[in-house]
Amino acid sequence: MSEDQDTPSPRARRRGQGELEVQVLGALRTAPGPVTAAWVQERLDDGLAYTTVMTILSRLHAKGAVSRARAGRSYRWRAAADAAGLAALRMRRVLDNQADRDAVLASFVTALLPQDEDLLRALLDAASEGA
Amino acid sequence: MGVAVFLPLVLPLTALPIARLAGHHLHPRAAARLLTAIAVAMAVSCAVSLVLLFVVGTANIPGNPLPDSWSDPDVRDAVPFHREAGSGAIVALTAVVAACARTLLRERRVRSRARHALAALPPGGPDPAVLPDPEPYAYALPGPDGGRIVVSTAMLAGLAEDERAALLAHERAHLTHRHHRHLLATRLAACVNPFLRPLHRAVGYNTERWADEEAAGAVGDRRLTARAVARAALISRPAPAGLAAFAAPGPVPRRVAALLGPVPHSWPPAHSPAGLATMVAAAGAAASVLSALNAAAALLILLKLTTPL
Repeated sequence: MSEDQDTPSPRARRRGQGELEVQVLGALRTAPGPVTAAWVQERLDDGLAYTTVMTILSRLHAKGAVSRARAGRSYRWRAAADAAGLAALRMRRVLDNQADRDAVLASFVTALLPQDEDLLRALLDAASEGA
Repeated sequence: MGVAVFLPLVLPLTALPIARLAGHHLHPRAAARLLTAIAVAMAVSCAVSLVLLFVVGTANIPGNPLPDSWSDPDVRDAVPFHREAGSGAIVALTAVVAACARTLLRERRVRSRARHALAALPPGGPDPAVLPDPEPYAYALPGPDGGRIVVSTAMLAGLAEDERAALLAHERAHLTHRHHRHLLATRLAACVNPFLRPLHRAVGYNTERWADEEAAGAVGDRRLTARAVARAALISRPAPAGLAAFAAPGPVPRRVAALLGPVPHSWPPAHSPAGLATMVAAAGAAASVLSALNAAAALLILLKLTTPL
């Protein structure tokens, strides 16, 4: 799923997808059971457009953070993600800011340069031979 | 104080050869510590020089709140080109303070956000926080409680059981040896003097190598650790297109190649290029510190002489 296919409201884009995902998932987790997107929209009380809430819910669904079931003509949504899922979404917000991430966090591996991949595969073969 | 005050501004250039050679010829632990120490010594000297020039420079500003003696001709004559250097130092010191503040704020922001992200999880102690995420990543998040390792399910899924152990040992080494302090110290040093940026990059590479060597020691297998690094890099996202393609291989293949090679020596022989570069850098750092001290003492004595008691 490409980032460009979803077109939430400009306001939502300004605030960042990650933040909205965390908010929507947080609201869903307080729901007594499966709820409609309209319920989530009311709960957020942020003046978010219905389509924006739907976009965020679909995005969370693609990530496996929420589950949905058809009820009549609409979906009923339920939070699938546990504490770890919520933490993952929040962590993703930190990591998505590439400048911050590269400046502060030491990643296990840094991004490969275009010509690195072949070299690395050759080295991996060398490393695997003796194993 | 004469030219001595200007030396710490350019002496970081003497550290460039060792920043280039350290990764290949020194044990990464020795390299990271040496380069950090040199960078900090040079940055502090450079900051002292900038402050001294700043003091002289502010005397040029009409209506400055300093005692009259600070704009005394004797004080100003002690610095060659005092007018230009003084004005330059005011600009430079402002830029340095701003850059350091920005670096520290960013560090704090990212760390507190990361901590907030993990707040929902039960406290794990030494256990890594495994986050369900389709993007493979692994990070060591330093913290007051000893820090936390964060690894995504996608990263774990891409590695074999023994390779995972190597990855976790690598991240644990980052936390145990507080590599983030080396990185922050050299990042701030690079803010003080841009000539120190290569040292920051070299410390970044050498802390990764250091953690690789620690991991290899912990799992008792250098080949296995090499495999873990290589496989993790191959399942991670490639560099964004448009990033300049250099002829030299990037850091990951160099790390893997180093792990497949012999255990590095702690220190290079004195007559080798790396040994020579180490001595040049050490001499440069010592000269920086002495020049800064000399200039500071000279200014203090001048001020004392020109200030009526």
